[in-house]
Amino acid sequence: MVRVKSPQNLGAAVIFIGLALIGLIFGRDLAFGSTAKMGPGFFPTILSLLVLGIGLLNVAMAFTITGEPIEKPHWRPITFICAAMMVFGFAVHYIGLAFSAALLTFLAAGARKDTRWGETVFLALFLAIFSVLLFVYGLGQSMPAWWGA
Amino acid sequence: MMDAFTNLATGFAAAGSLQNIGFALIGCMLGTLIGVLPGIGPIPTIAMLLPLTFGLDPLSSLIMLAGIYYGAQYGGSTTSILVNMPGEASSVVTCMDGYQMARQGRAGAALAVAALGSFFAGCVGTVFIAAFGPPLAGFAQQFNSPDYFSLMALGLLMAVVMAQGSIVNAIGMVLAGLLFGLVGTDANSGVARYTFGVSELWDGVDFLPMVIGMFGIVEIIRNLEEKELDRTSIKTRFRDLWPSWSDFKEAWKPVIRGTGLGSILGILPGGGAVLASFASYTMEKKIADDPSRFGKGAIEGVAGPEAANNAAAQTSFIPLLTLGLPSNPIMALMMGAMVIQGMQPGSAVMTSRPELFWGMVASMWIGNLMLVIINLPMVGLWVKLLSVPYRLLYPAILLFCVIGVYGLNSNWVMMAMTTVFAIFGYVLVRVGCEPAPMILGFLLGPIMEENLRRSLVLSRGDPMIFIQRPISATLLGLCVLLILITVLPSIRKSRDAAFAGGS
Repeated sequence: MVRVKSPQNLGAAVIFIGLALIGLIFGRDLAFGSTAKMGPGFFPTILSLLVLGIGLLNVAMAFTITGEPIEKPHWRPITFICAAMMVFGFAVHYIGLAFSAALLTFLAAGARKDTRWGETVFLALFLAIFSVLLFVYGLGQSMPAWWGA
Repeated sequence: MMDAFTNLATGFAAAGSLQNIGFALIGCMLGTLIGVLPGIGPIPTIAMLLPLTFGLDPLSSLIMLAGIYYGAQYGGSTTSILVNMPGEASSVVTCMDGYQMARQGRAGAALAVAALGSFFAGCVGTVFIAAFGPPLAGFAQQFNSPDYFSLMALGLLMAVVMAQGSIVNAIGMVLAGLLFGLVGTDANSGVARYTFGVSELWDGVDFLPMVIGMFGIVEIIRNLEEKELDRTSIKTRFRDLWPSWSDFKEAWKPVIRGTGLGSILGILPGGGAVLASFASYTMEKKIADDPSRFGKGAIEGVAGPEAANNAAAQTSFIPLLTLGLPSNPIMALMMGAMVIQGMQPGSAVMTSRPELFWGMVASMWIGNLMLVIINLPMVGLWVKLLSVPYRLLYPAILLFCVIGVYGLNSNWVMMAMTTVFAIFGYVLVRVGCEPAPMILGFLLGPIMEENLRRSLVLSRGDPMIFIQRPISATLLGLCVLLILITVLPSIRKSRDAAFAGGS
């Protein structure tokens, strides 16, 4: 039976082969042209094939050399941090920077198990005021400070 | 040589305005502010602070950005010395002896030697750029498309060889970066490539969401996964700061050696601060009368590498500013910022906008001066910052990252892209691919494609053109040589050993 000796290499192989396939499949309609007259598909195709090669090399390494295991991802921080970013991205247009900043702070605080919520309220308040003063009034960034503004 | 001085005078006139000195100061302060935070190296620091520089005119924004870079680097050294927690690879070396010095009550001496050594190295580095920039840019004017293509290939290859971790994966990341760089409307045919119907991708993948996602956000997530570390720092007072006369006597030679070594290693594509500090440490240890003192608080082990990494930080601007070749990921960030400002770095900048080029060179010196000024008296403040727990810092850092992205283009799509790149970067780290080489490829992708196309048009499709032109042939020869050297086992071993010493 074949055994995966280096899980990290297998993971890298999946990523590289995936990227190469995306490059090849979504690039298939791009004209390849010829060396004298390179089409828009020429360089992407070559690059995708090279990336594919790196992917296959990783497959080979995964089964031959002994390597590191893939550490289990910690879902909590990723989920909450990404959620905080996305919510901010949608919300800031509607409810303004002050409330979005506070919202982001609360969501980000959820990334830790041992969050002290009392402290977080103060932090949210501070960041909301500070960011509005600095970015909206200080640096004149184009985003509303409050809703509807 | 006289030319260099008149040019520098032009530069100082441009960079020395009150406004620009102000931006240099702000840049250094902000860079230090984020850079001292443990676990945050210069790449995430620059990525996070990049948006702040967008509203400024080109020269001011570059000055501020360079300030951020020096600040971030020096801030990392402060953390290394006081809490033994390197933010990035080039500070690892400083940890080895700097922290030991701090434990022996010589934190002040270590910090001061690092600051003064860096300042000296910065001065020399600036002169180096003034002296070598113009001839190199002149030489670059003889370059034709095939030569540029081969130069980029060599640059990317060297960056890969010097990268940490697996060489295969580093090559893979560069190639993936090149591919990402091609997303958007093809300049030649006007065809949209890999845009998946998203109109925001027509102009290509945006630089800012990419670097903030892959470096800034990933850094936050990675730090959250680790347990809150003990960040108690060693107390230091301002009056303890001045090194004794004997410290000076022991430190000045390593500083000069480190400066020389760093200046040279910085110019090499793929080189830069990390390589320079490792090389300097190894050299100091080798020539020391008593190598056993190293790792136990030898002042040479702080002075040499600190000077070397700062000198290299300066001179690594040379390939970028004269050839348009970013030699390491940090220079790629600088290049990205320049492109956003509407400049294409390369020999043309020096001839067409001399005040910009020389202003930036002058600002490097000013930035180094600022570092000494803000670091020696204010070290107490930075140390205080270290005692702010991470649970209060990361929401603030995250907020600044997202405001930066959102401020660039008030659009949730940008935020979605940042999130996608954050997840992508996180996965890459998990499978052992260091994402940093990707930005090099990303920036060079369209340029390489264009030069490849022009070369092949020139030769009517004959790829032999790359070995028929002497410059291109030489560069490709170096590529082959480099590959041979890399696969030879003995050199690989020493490369691994150099990095093993750091991690």
